[in-house]
Amino acid sequence: MAHNFKTDLTVDWCPGCGDFGIVTSITSAMSELNLDPLGVVMVSGIGCSGKTPHYINVAGMHTLHGRAVPYATGVKLANPKLKVLVTGGDGDLMGIGAGHLVAEGRRNSGITIMIYDNEVYGLTKGQAAPTMPIGEQTKSLSKPNIFTRLNPISLALSAGYSFVARGFSFDMKQLKEIIKKAINHPGSAVIDILQPCPTYNNVNTMEWYKERVYKLEDDKDWNPVVSKENISEADAKFTQAMLKAQEWGDRIPTGIFYQNSAIEPFTARINRNVPNYLDITPSEQVIATEAGFTVVDPEKTFADKIIG
Amino acid sequence: MKKIDINITVGGPQGGGIDTSSNMISRAFAQSGYYVFGVREYHSNIKGRHSYTHVRIKSERPRSLKYPVDFLVALDPDSIFEHLEDVGKGTRIIYDSSIEKADLSQARMIMRDTAKKIKDTLDEGKFPNTVAGAVQWMKSKGAIPLSIPFTNVVQDAIKEGVPSRYFNTLGAALTLAIAGVDRKYMEESIRLVFAGKDKIIEENVRVVDAAYSYCRNNGLLGETLPYIEHSKRFMITGNDGAAIGKVMGGLRLQTYYPITPASDESTIMEEHNYIKWIDSEAKKLKDSGVVVVQTEDEISAATMASGAAVTGTRAATATSGPGFSLMAEAIGFAGIDEIPLVITLYQRGGPSTGLPTRNGQSDLLFAMNTGHGEFPRIVISSGDVEECIYDSMRALNYAQRYQMPVLHLIDKNLANTTDFISLIDSKKVPVMAQKFEAHGLNFKRYNLDTPNGISNLGAFGKDIFWMTGDEHDELGHVTEDSEVRDRMMEKRFKKLETADLEIPADDKAILYGDPKAEITFVTWGSQKGPILDVIDDLKEEGINANLLYLRMFIPFPTKFVKEVLSKAKIIIDVESNFVGQAASVVMANTGINIENRILKYNGRHMTEDEILESAREIIKNKGNKIEKVLKHGA
Repeated sequence: MAHNFKTDLTVDWCPGCGDFGIVTSITSAMSELNLDPLGVVMVSGIGCSGKTPHYINVAGMHTLHGRAVPYATGVKLANPKLKVLVTGGDGDLMGIGAGHLVAEGRRNSGITIMIYDNEVYGLTKGQAAPTMPIGEQTKSLSKPNIFTRLNPISLALSAGYSFVARGFSFDMKQLKEIIKKAINHPGSAVIDILQPCPTYNNVNTMEWYKERVYKLEDDKDWNPVVSKENISEADAKFTQAMLKAQEWGDRIPTGIFYQNSAIEPFTARINRNVPNYLDITPSEQVIATEAGFTVVDPEKTFADKIIG
Repeated sequence: MKKIDINITVGGPQGGGIDTSSNMISRAFAQSGYYVFGVREYHSNIKGRHSYTHVRIKSERPRSLKYPVDFLVALDPDSIFEHLEDVGKGTRIIYDSSIEKADLSQARMIMRDTAKKIKDTLDEGKFPNTVAGAVQWMKSKGAIPLSIPFTNVVQDAIKEGVPSRYFNTLGAALTLAIAGVDRKYMEESIRLVFAGKDKIIEENVRVVDAAYSYCRNNGLLGETLPYIEHSKRFMITGNDGAAIGKVMGGLRLQTYYPITPASDESTIMEEHNYIKWIDSEAKKLKDSGVVVVQTEDEISAATMASGAAVTGTRAATATSGPGFSLMAEAIGFAGIDEIPLVITLYQRGGPSTGLPTRNGQSDLLFAMNTGHGEFPRIVISSGDVEECIYDSMRALNYAQRYQMPVLHLIDKNLANTTDFISLIDSKKVPVMAQKFEAHGLNFKRYNLDTPNGISNLGAFGKDIFWMTGDEHDELGHVTEDSEVRDRMMEKRFKKLETADLEIPADDKAILYGDPKAEITFVTWGSQKGPILDVIDDLKEEGINANLLYLRMFIPFPTKFVKEVLSKAKIIIDVESNFVGQAASVVMANTGINIENRILKYNGRHMTEDEILESAREIIKNKGNKIEKVLKHGA
């Protein structure tokens, strides 16, 4: 029988929340990819998005505010055979956890990061999140927002992510396909997911987004893919993605902005320094003899520390 | 055979080859069979400020350092000024004659406050504020100045290069020649220190020859020290010891963010990350290694290591005070989620940036209380380089067995102590490898039906379960149920009782010396060595003392400590902090208030002589409350 990727827990997000569509897209992607449930790990931070792992029937880690990325990276680097997915809010990943998000772009460890982008901190009653534009005033703000908007797509591209996309939680078909591609991508991916918060964001509602979103893939000339074969086009494709990322307002592009499989994953770089790393991962190593003693010879391993 | 006990300080500008010079001296003595024990002192600076090493040489393994030194090798004027107080009767001061005119006011790399102190000292005795004046001051204390024309000696010897680049070799060679170390050992030492760099070896050997002939021609050559038969030994620091122990203990992923004095552990590990198996396993196991990841900050270091640990990998990080402060929240997460996380905490002078390159033992109470909320943890401390090895192995075992964060404290002094130890015993500490069974679905990672509090340790990749910083049920899902909350709290704290029952007494505290002695020293960390030396010194004076040496603070060996301390007439607490943190832990657990204290918080290590002096005073006072603050330190 096929594995049910949803748990039987009561989901306690608000009615009409965009998060439901994200969970369904994730579990559908897992089913369609026929993933071994034991080979997948979900990691989240704090906030509404943080609850996601509990609703998905794979190993899950609901961690600290802003720290999902380094926890996930730790899982991935200790066992690169696992598929590791991160879910986090815009405040979680780009406010308190921004440093980690940037650092992971430089690593490119091979994890899939999904940003629940709704411009507000929902669970703490609707404060402005880093993605809210300046001057916007959602219903729980006493005054208009005086910060400018952080652009998740530009940030992900600048940080070095090798797969950068945007989805919309009410277009589960497209989102599921993006997630599938991101999971199969060898490097790290960022998916900015437009996810209306029905309780605290009365500006960027489902209807507001529906009037504006369009799909990049509908343009037959749009090709965001870079591989070893067309590596010479890498700069042009990156620039194209960066330009497209600036589009916001009346028209909001969704789909894949940039996908570069020629950037070596961090795990492959480690494999150059650590023998057989990808084959016998740290989590699979033998550390003790049958009698229960170390397998490491300190005199040989640290030979240069021995003196006459 | 005459008793060999030589203390040598080599000082010079940071980046001026002080370490190399000291290394040459240490290795030359090692080649002739002696034991060397040394520490490194340096500023938070890359080039220019005063740095020095102090090494002590004995025919048996030294455990501490002692002032006044027998040799002061000054490679610049600052080293004369800075070590004014470190010399005494018979100290040989080896320095370059050309620096004699250097004036204290021109020594701009000396901290202003320090320069003022030196000026006052010289002025008081009406000595000029120059190197020559300082040397005269030292001479008045019985020191023997050896003004040697460094440039001339080197220039006549080398074929290329600037003479000053060889001053560190010259200083080392002159010291060895005068101390009576055979030239061939100095040459062997050079060959080891510069292994693979033939040209450099040639030039340096010429400098060594010049130094030995200079001493011969000037009647300075010392009587040759006897050669001691010896077997192979490890020359390691505390940082090395922790790295070696962790790798032996099964660590396969270490994270770190650069910080003094912790990062050396990680870089040493990275340098040696290609593991060599013991003979019996070499045929069975494929080549493999340790992954060392430099992270973007210490929050990432602690959380990434935690993520790795959840896959069944033995993982750890190493940091110092400021970084450890950032790890607080991750330690709490490891507490509630029962993650086997090991953090090696190198203590330096705090608070805040404090004294970034200097010694301190002021993070004990913080380590015992890091993070909000209540959760069990194990807190251990090491006091010499061997303990750094074996305690690191133990820390990994404890973390896995008791599924909780283990905080392993090492002070900066120990981190930077170079010590010779006999070869490492691979069977001293077992590696309690967990056999992970695949439980798959519906696995109760936090099962409550456990008599000892220890639940099934699962691994991501083999089992499906959840972790959350929230209180959780047996599967790891969030709960706010009041009864489950109580049971989970009780289950987690039960593990500490289990740990206390299972961990051998010697791994918690050790009583060194005569159990019947009426004077008991209490200490932890790197003061262990100097106090053991002080106990020997006191014995020669007819005073019988012992040492209660603390190694584990959580769980605390309350019964044993109480037993030992209730027998003592005079108890003396010795620690490198302001408030007597270990004494307060003793007080909290046993109700015994240790009133006599020898404390030091100026960032410098404690030496045998200064502890001895204070101890004598306390003993003479029959144990009436005395608190001594040790002041020594360049």
